[in-house]
Amino acid sequence: MVLRMAFRNVLRQKRRSVLTGLTIFGGFTLAVIFIGWADGSYNNIIDEFTRNRLGHIQIQEKTYFDRPSLYKTVDDPKAVSGVLKGIPEVESWSPRVVSAALAASGDKSAGIQIIGLDPEREAETTRFDRKIVRGRLMAGPGSKEAVIGRGLADILKAGPGDDLALLTQAADGSIAEDLFRITGVLSTGDDMSDRTSVHLNLKDAQNLLVLGDRVHQIVVTVPALGRVPAVARAIDRDLPDPSLRAVPWQDFARSFYEAMQADKAGLWVMLVVIVVIVGVGVLNTVLMSVLERRREYGLLKAVGTKPRHVVRLVLLEVLILSLTAVFVGSLVGLGVNAFLAEHGIKFAEGLTYGGMEFGTMRSELNARSFAIPLVTVLASALLVSLVPALRAGKTDPARTMRLH
Amino acid sequence: MTNHASDLIVTENLRKDYREDDIVVPAVRGVDLVIKEREFTALVGPSGSGKTTLLNIISGLDSPTEGRVWLKGKPISEMKGAELSDFRRDHIGFVFQAYNLIPVLSAEENIEYIMMLQGVPKNERRERVRKILGDVGLQGMGRRMPPKLSGGQQQRVAIARAMVSRPGLILADEPTANLDSETGAALLDIMRELNEKTGMTFLFSTHDRMVMDRADRIITLKDGRVARDEIRAENPIR
Repeated sequence: MVLRMAFRNVLRQKRRSVLTGLTIFGGFTLAVIFIGWADGSYNNIIDEFTRNRLGHIQIQEKTYFDRPSLYKTVDDPKAVSGVLKGIPEVESWSPRVVSAALAASGDKSAGIQIIGLDPEREAETTRFDRKIVRGRLMAGPGSKEAVIGRGLADILKAGPGDDLALLTQAADGSIAEDLFRITGVLSTGDDMSDRTSVHLNLKDAQNLLVLGDRVHQIVVTVPALGRVPAVARAIDRDLPDPSLRAVPWQDFARSFYEAMQADKAGLWVMLVVIVVIVGVGVLNTVLMSVLERRREYGLLKAVGTKPRHVVRLVLLEVLILSLTAVFVGSLVGLGVNAFLAEHGIKFAEGLTYGGMEFGTMRSELNARSFAIPLVTVLASALLVSLVPALRAGKTDPARTMRLH
Repeated sequence: MTNHASDLIVTENLRKDYREDDIVVPAVRGVDLVIKEREFTALVGPSGSGKTTLLNIISGLDSPTEGRVWLKGKPISEMKGAELSDFRRDHIGFVFQAYNLIPVLSAEENIEYIMMLQGVPKNERRERVRKILGDVGLQGMGRRMPPKLSGGQQQRVAIARAMVSRPGLILADEPTANLDSETGAALLDIMRELNEKTGMTFLFSTHDRMVMDRADRIITLKDGRVARDEIRAENPIR
């Protein structure tokens, strides 16, 4: 019967209930869409940054991340591959060698980074093949072909068909030098990387650097970003060589991760704004309602209703209003999120973030974008209603009967 | 003060002052009363004589500035919070001047509400509501909401609500004040009948001659004091 009373009280002041409901609905729906959009955008950026370039997880020698060196290698990549094959959540992996070098083409030269990779595996793991903007991928082992970044092509004024001389130090201490033919120019979306990268076939790079079968990194991708830490731990546990470590992207791209976290702090600012809007709207309505209905609360107490039951009645009314608004808000908010997750928003000129360019941004449909606004909106509505509800509970029946 | 077994209400030197800023307005000035079980008593007096204040204090809705009230031997004026709510709910029915039904509940729900607070099982609640609606002449009107009932019908619902939890005492603050004489007389007959059939004690505050004519005892208040206490029909318990 108390629930029935609360329902009827909500319906009694239709206009006021609708206005309050709209405030709660607006706050909740905005929060659902905003969080879904923010999560989608950040995950787009993170996915672009990791999946397209660095991978979600890197397997390296333990100290390689802090002090990279030509000599800190994964000595038996085949054994590591065996481990990766046994972990179902590993989507794909690609071994790499990395070394600093000097590149020259014609009369231009530049300090560069050699990245030796297996083009087929890399295409599967980091979509390497999709980044070629001119020319083609390098051919198989022994072809001595190179793909260079767009920025480097501009610096060296070189392109497909031009020769590229590389000079570096090999793992045996000798000076390594060789001539490669540029077959393609790529754009990763990362300006810095595009100004310095020279991609060689893995075997060619290993031969140049006298590394044998050794590599510096094995880049791993997983289907879902959220699973990265767990998969990294699983790989780490099974690695055959104790000198190796599986590092999640949050560690090997720490500054990027921290920048993302700082950006996400903006989300909480937005939630505070929503809490204030919902809080003020609900407080205003409930306070008005309680003041208007003092005689009614006095009557309820006069017939034997306990103060806490009067408080419960007021809170129940707010809860009914909030849950109704949240239900409708869920349909709208999650509907908008589902649409934006599927179709996204296309940027005609591309959106640049951290040197990366994005053509389309998408929202994300996840539990968090529903749960956080739900808890925030319900808690703020109930919390601000507590003061008027307690006031209603303290109504002095004799006084209200006398005055009204 | 000694309480006898048949003493339902005992007040001792009851005083109530209202304060408006620095002004003290005495509403009740030292009332000593004993109301016995089964009485049908009218509290009369001019406006401002302290009738409603006295009823409010006896019912525990208001607290006295001085003095004490016992109800069934329990010091109601010293009870607070949930203890007072429970005691009032279980032992006192209150009929207000302005009907005072809960506006979002139908007639039968208004009557049922108190029994729900008492934890009476649903089936029993329904049965008692059905019976009492018949007793107050409102058969078939249980589902009507208060605005769909006339003043007299609303007051009948209020009486039914006050009595349904079977309290020992019904306090009624000018119950016929807003009713035409015919409806008022019919309600008084109902209450008189219930008093005789069930033994409930009734204490009215009133200006209404009809109420006074039906009362066994008339207590006249003047300026917050008992000016006259007239017993007109002997209570078998007295």
